[in-house]
Amino acid sequence: MDVALEGVVVVRGGRTVLDVPSLGFPAGSTTAVFGPNGSGKTTLLRLVAGLERTSRGRVRIGALSPGPNGGSPPPTAIAFQEQVFVAGSVRRNLELALELRRVAPADRATRIAEAAAECGIEAVLDRPARQLSGGEAQRVNLARALALRAPVTLLDEPLSGIDRPSRAQLLDDLPRLLGTFATTTILVTHDREEAFRLARQLVVLVGGVVRAAGPAGAVFRAPPDRTVAELLGHTVLRSGAGLLAVPPGGLRLGHGQGNPTFTLEIERIVDMGNHPHLVGRVGDVRVDLRLDAGEVLPSPGEFVRVTAPAAVVLPRPD
Amino acid sequence: MSDLALGFAEALRLLGRGDAELWSIILRTLAVSGVATILAMAAGIPLGYALARSSFRGRTALLALVNSAMGLPPVVIGLIVWVLLTRSGPLGGLELIYTRRAMIVAQFLIATPLVIGFTAASVQALPPQLPDLLASLGASRWRRLWILSREAKLGLLAAVMAGFGAIVSEVGASMTVGGNLRGATRVLTTAIVTETSRGNIPVALALGLVLLLLAFLVNLVLTALQQRRAG
Repeated sequence: MDVALEGVVVVRGGRTVLDVPSLGFPAGSTTAVFGPNGSGKTTLLRLVAGLERTSRGRVRIGALSPGPNGGSPPPTAIAFQEQVFVAGSVRRNLELALELRRVAPADRATRIAEAAAECGIEAVLDRPARQLSGGEAQRVNLARALALRAPVTLLDEPLSGIDRPSRAQLLDDLPRLLGTFATTTILVTHDREEAFRLARQLVVLVGGVVRAAGPAGAVFRAPPDRTVAELLGHTVLRSGAGLLAVPPGGLRLGHGQGNPTFTLEIERIVDMGNHPHLVGRVGDVRVDLRLDAGEVLPSPGEFVRVTAPAAVVLPRPD
Repeated sequence: MSDLALGFAEALRLLGRGDAELWSIILRTLAVSGVATILAMAAGIPLGYALARSSFRGRTALLALVNSAMGLPPVVIGLIVWVLLTRSGPLGGLELIYTRRAMIVAQFLIATPLVIGFTAASVQALPPQLPDLLASLGASRWRRLWILSREAKLGLLAAVMAGFGAIVSEVGASMTVGGNLRGATRVLTTAIVTETSRGNIPVALALGLVLLLLAFLVNLVLTALQQRRAG
């Protein structure tokens, strides 16, 4: 099912937290809603889940509204950022979710076994859900949402708050899991890597307003303004009268033939093991430049020329 | 010491003999305090839940008020109810004074703040996102309340035990609004006062033991419910 926000405004405590005139999530797509903390990402997700009301406008899910539809289960399944469980085992938690979704008792065991196998939580099925480690709890949290096989799956920061190895493993597993259990997926994240690894579509939300939307690669290659460019990891440098967005790793030492060139004041040199990094500033912008191993190292305090062959010119604000 | 022993023997004798008056007092005590407890739960659990989950100006002050009311002297509540219900009082027309209903009203007022306070505390101890989780899964409002109550079971049953324990053992309010009328409003605690003032110490002690036993048995049932493992 597709999801659409139509003229949605959410006001809380006199403050507009979300103002989205029109935004669509195509059926079967996976979209990352990306933005800094407090940008309204979670509010958007909760709106689609039917847990928040709009002040104006409406959310449409296929032909339905969010929340329970005339006694039938809601069209969405959500995995919250904070893993919350009822008392009892992991199995009981999955069982309750399926029961509340009116999955026939005979089918529940199959569904649980399937989700547990795919999500790698078979070993903890009979453990108390509230005593799991962060990584396990997050897998169970996801498994519970995925087992519902809802037309629309919503994930709030699916990889936050877990240890690095678990996160790496889950980041690797999630695309396959979404492929198996989810159709239309909306995930919220403040992490650029997560957004690009997990989703094809990207929505950049800043201060409750959609600043960019579209295929993730396209948004990255043509950021519409400075804020979005910086959120996506670009370094924004002034060049002549305009602004240039330099993608991560897009600066090179030396003069560029016809490419924009800047002066970098080196503050220090960091040895990252396999590569040295130059850390310094261009004008008042902090810059981190990775050198190839074996390159001749300048010294701190020195001024060097750097070039940005892949930089994109940012549109001028109206 | 000998009084205690005598009291114990008397208690066993009265109970064993099936003393009709004793049994009617026991049943009346259970009925009055039981009904008051059930009413206090019906009012106090939803109020405590609402108080725990809501946010409004003055919420902390209200909680403090409820928490103070948990320790109100029963005799003061009894006095207030008496003033309201007495024949010449504002609610005198109801003709409730010196009836079991008047006792239920007073005991209800004593138990309700306890139930509200314990409920609010136990609901606040639940994961705050639990209601959202249940709502997102499509649970109806009643189903949500039921599951949340089950999750807060420890605290809710503590609320019931605290409420029942407070009113089955209080004497001031029952005496003031019930009047300790033999065969009508005499309950275990008021009977103990009567027998003591008459100098029937063994009988008073026997009644006291019965009261303790009664309170223990009720709490045994509630504790068993409370401690039962979730399936």
